[in-house]
Amino acid sequence: MNNTFNIHRFGLLFKKTLLERPMQLFGLTALSLSIVFIMYVLGKMLAGFEDGQNISFMLGLVGGGCFLASFVFSYFTSNAMGSNYITLPASAFEKWLCGVLITGVFYLLLFLLFYRFIDTLFVGIYHRNLDANGPFYRQLYDQVQIFPYDGFIANKAILLFVNFSGAMLVGSLYFNKVNFIKVALLICGFWLGSWVLNLLIAQAMIQHVNNAMPYWLVWIDVNKDEGRIELPENIMRVVSIFIQFIIPATLWMLAWLRLKEKEF
Amino acid sequence: MIEIANLSFGYNKKKLLYKNLTLSLEAGSIYGLLGKNGAGKSTLLKNLIGLLFPTNGDIWVNGFLPKKRLPSFLETIYFIPEEVYVPSLTIDRYINLFAPFYPNFSKENMIRHLEELDVKTADKLNTLSFGQQKKFIIAFGLACNTKVLLLDEPTNGLDIPSKKRFRKLIAAEMNDDRMIFISTHQIRDLDNLIDRVVIVDEGELLLNASVATIAEKLLFTTVDEMPAGDKILYAEESLLGIYVVTENKNTAESKVNLEHLFNAVTENPEIIKQIFN
Repeated sequence: MNNTFNIHRFGLLFKKTLLERPMQLFGLTALSLSIVFIMYVLGKMLAGFEDGQNISFMLGLVGGGCFLASFVFSYFTSNAMGSNYITLPASAFEKWLCGVLITGVFYLLLFLLFYRFIDTLFVGIYHRNLDANGPFYRQLYDQVQIFPYDGFIANKAILLFVNFSGAMLVGSLYFNKVNFIKVALLICGFWLGSWVLNLLIAQAMIQHVNNAMPYWLVWIDVNKDEGRIELPENIMRVVSIFIQFIIPATLWMLAWLRLKEKEF
Repeated sequence: MIEIANLSFGYNKKKLLYKNLTLSLEAGSIYGLLGKNGAGKSTLLKNLIGLLFPTNGDIWVNGFLPKKRLPSFLETIYFIPEEVYVPSLTIDRYINLFAPFYPNFSKENMIRHLEELDVKTADKLNTLSFGQQKKFIIAFGLACNTKVLLLDEPTNGLDIPSKKRFRKLIAAEMNDDRMIFISTHQIRDLDNLIDRVVIVDEGELLLNASVATIAEKLLFTTVDEMPAGDKILYAEESLLGIYVVTENKNTAESKVNLEHLFNAVTENPEIIKQIFN
């Protein structure tokens, strides 16, 4: 018997994972997508199309992904549930893969499809309602476009999604109760710490520092104007690889190791 | 079937719950693991199933190291914790989702066990009372037909008729290839059920003997006056007289009283070791 991966056993486990707590799993997904829809509509009405698109995409992917990531391994809220999960005859790798597939593949695909659907719908409605004979038709038409999945915001959202949901997966295996809040606080603390550290280092090295973003950007006051100092391109590339691939891969793999070693 | 060699375990490395525990458990027996509250009974079971890892020493169950939690090991052992978990599923759905992980699972047995334990519902399992949920998990655990079945305080939450049905079912489902290990502090619930007794206290194994051997080596009697000369291992006054546990020097026959045995062993661990070794 293959004790690491068996396709039949994995199929059984995946089916069990989906159907054991369907209300929570599908309910949470449906809730996330509903919030995306509401945020899209509200953002569009209050702040304009582009901001509505950006906010809802960021919130749906990062927030929804994190919520789901904190849920897929949340079996350890009670002794009985945790024991049942750990002693189920499936390997730690198969259990981990279930969590990774649900969070990192299925939710991601479902979200992207859903988002593209509502975005196409609302952008289409907007375009159809424009007066084709109006003086600013072309300008107004071009102002609102379908949200690009290869744009700056989408890239940043995916970056945050892979990092934060990886942290949530690991965190849910370290914190047995209220893991979402605990990990969210840790992430906020880490972000704040990085910002303060970056600011202090920048202030120690450069005069007239106005503000600093974690790791890549420092604003400085130059007379009455403001200037930006960014990381050199080659260093930025290394840092980006680290943040885009190495940290998320480490976090997601750490979840597997933790699952293997978790005592309960 | 279960070999424990020099097991040390502690939730805190400075304060070990078990120190160099060595124990061997064979198939074909129902073991009763007795100990005071906090003696580490559940902890020992959790080490056997791989929920906790030994600080030192080795545990072998069915030829596997439990801490590796290999699927081929986990399908040979079933653990029923004191608090059971049932999801929001019907009985059929639960069987459909969980039973395929256990290759020897028998649906026929499961249905029979449920009838014997009087668990009937078309509703979701989480709507049942705690006792009913526990009986459902006991029925499922038995129907999995694993070589080793670990039960932690199985009678907690069961009413009196259910305790009787539980004993009857366990006795009926026992066979020579199987080992059932029951941990409890409710000693009376195991009367006439177990055939071997394991007593642990303060991280030490005080006794591992069959009920027959215990009856051979110790005498459980009721007397009007305390007997002179014999070393009294345990005495308890009652309306019927004084219950006394002494060494059985004359190979007299008596029925083992688990509660008195437990008190005798925990109060005189050294003497008991001498008698049984």
